[in-house]
Amino acid sequence: MNVIVFGAHPDDCDNKMGGTAALFAQMGHRVKFVSVTNGDSGHYEKGGGHLAKIRRNEAQEAGKKLGVEYTVLDNHDGELLPTIEVRHQVIREIRKWEADIVLTHRPVDYHPDHRYTGVLVQDAAYLVIVPNVTPDTPPLKKNPVFLYLQDHFQKPNEFKADITVDITRVFDKKMDALDAHPSQFYEWLPWTAGKLLDVPKNEIQKREFLIKEWSRPISDKARESLTKWYGPEKAEKALHSESFEICEYGKQPTDEEIRELFPMLNN
Amino acid sequence: MKKLIYLLFTIATSINFYGQDKPFVPLRIIAIGAHPDDCDAKFGGTAALYAKLGHKVKFVALTNGDAGHQDMGGGILGKRRRAEAKKAGEILGVEYDVLDNHDAELIPTLSVRHQVIRKIREWDADIVLGLRPNDYHPDHRNAGIAVQDAAYLVIVPNVTPDTPPLKKNPIFLYMQDGFQKPYPFSKDIVVVIDEVMDQKQRAFAAHESQVFEWMPWTMGMNENEIPKGENERLEWMKNVYLKQKKLDKSSLDALKKWYPNTDATKVKNAEFFEICEYGKQPTDEEIKYYFPMLK
Repeated sequence: MNVIVFGAHPDDCDNKMGGTAALFAQMGHRVKFVSVTNGDSGHYEKGGGHLAKIRRNEAQEAGKKLGVEYTVLDNHDGELLPTIEVRHQVIREIRKWEADIVLTHRPVDYHPDHRYTGVLVQDAAYLVIVPNVTPDTPPLKKNPVFLYLQDHFQKPNEFKADITVDITRVFDKKMDALDAHPSQFYEWLPWTAGKLLDVPKNEIQKREFLIKEWSRPISDKARESLTKWYGPEKAEKALHSESFEICEYGKQPTDEEIRELFPMLNN
Repeated sequence: MKKLIYLLFTIATSINFYGQDKPFVPLRIIAIGAHPDDCDAKFGGTAALYAKLGHKVKFVALTNGDAGHQDMGGGILGKRRRAEAKKAGEILGVEYDVLDNHDAELIPTLSVRHQVIRKIREWDADIVLGLRPNDYHPDHRNAGIAVQDAAYLVIVPNVTPDTPPLKKNPIFLYMQDGFQKPYPFSKDIVVVIDEVMDQKQRAFAAHESQVFEWMPWTMGMNENEIPKGENERLEWMKNVYLKQKKLDKSSLDALKKWYPNTDATKVKNAEFFEICEYGKQPTDEEIKYYFPMLK
């Protein structure tokens, strides 16, 4: 299976589907994370090309932890717009990866870069099979399945947990991937939350901090979805999960096809 | 018993007195519309109430309104509308900025986003009001997007670095509209504006080029129907615009929540606001703090 995930910034894919990506990789499937911006605004005392370089290296490190490829495109952070040029970048990435599954943010997420990444990837759906579009890169034969990564926004409609993956046994790996972005999880994000002084210095406490800040209890709706895919017994034991919503613009998979696309659901 | 009441009274007043020792920190509110007159129509009453209580309000029109007339246009109209906006601002007790983007050509470009970010930061805003991105005029929709896209980014130092960032993401609110798709406006907060309705009407009437010329023209009215005298014009205006609407169930529900001690059937005029998901998400207690006129 070829899976490609588009996040707005280097660390978004890791945070939203690092666990599922690690499971795919463990089963021998190919996963690629693409950050549509280079993250060059995401710090309080660093910026520009200097910060982008740091974040590109962090992304590579995170990719290694999860066993996935990681590409960081050179669009400016905080300035992403759904232009034709960026749409073509997205179409090329999807085609070159020969993707079966494409994942991204919903276009209602909190950060304009997230919303526009969602728009760009939506706009690439279907066009990836059109030979006259972005003709420098051969088209795909079939429109892939497009999925949204989870968020908590309610308008105009809430996120729907169509597919939920139990990531309990790779949760540590996911945290390793987040830990590989120190500029974000120990510096910038705590700074924006006014918690910079709460960030511990030693490794064990840092891990506890990361888990406390970045793992959420499984919601009722996610638990319901887990029960659908894993049965009640396994669903009840799960401690961590990641959910995905099917986008209407890609291939519309049946439940049977979803089990083929997400082979970890059968474990 | 009398002694007890006296004691309670003394405690209550001393607590109140202690409260007054704290220095008054005015709230800072910025409302961003597409044209000079949008903020007045949707937020003018609440703005006047804030101003009366000593809080600082600024209105921003993202376009200069230079397309809003049947036989004037361009810079001449832009200049006239800027002057009208200043006058309306004085009536309400608020500042009024008119940016020089062309009317009917507003696009949520990075350059407009940066203008919005600068305005919010320079005003050090606690509350930002914008239009919903599904309003009737493309300038309204695009103004809504430009304001939404400024949320969160106003705290990022690397974004628009010529202007120091805010320490906290403000509360972002939408001003009311009647559109139903993809979902109807949600009346999360209501402010009763009866005591300042006269001010709101006079501020709206200050936009003469709109209220007495352009808008009647778009509605196919005959120029001669509009009275010429100051007071007669104001009376005419009250019947054409800003007419008192019967409060529907959702309005009454909002009134019951935010004005539990007020007889909702006696309320004539109110303004409604919806909480945008991209700013600070205030609790009900915080809303009472940020809207001190609620009682």
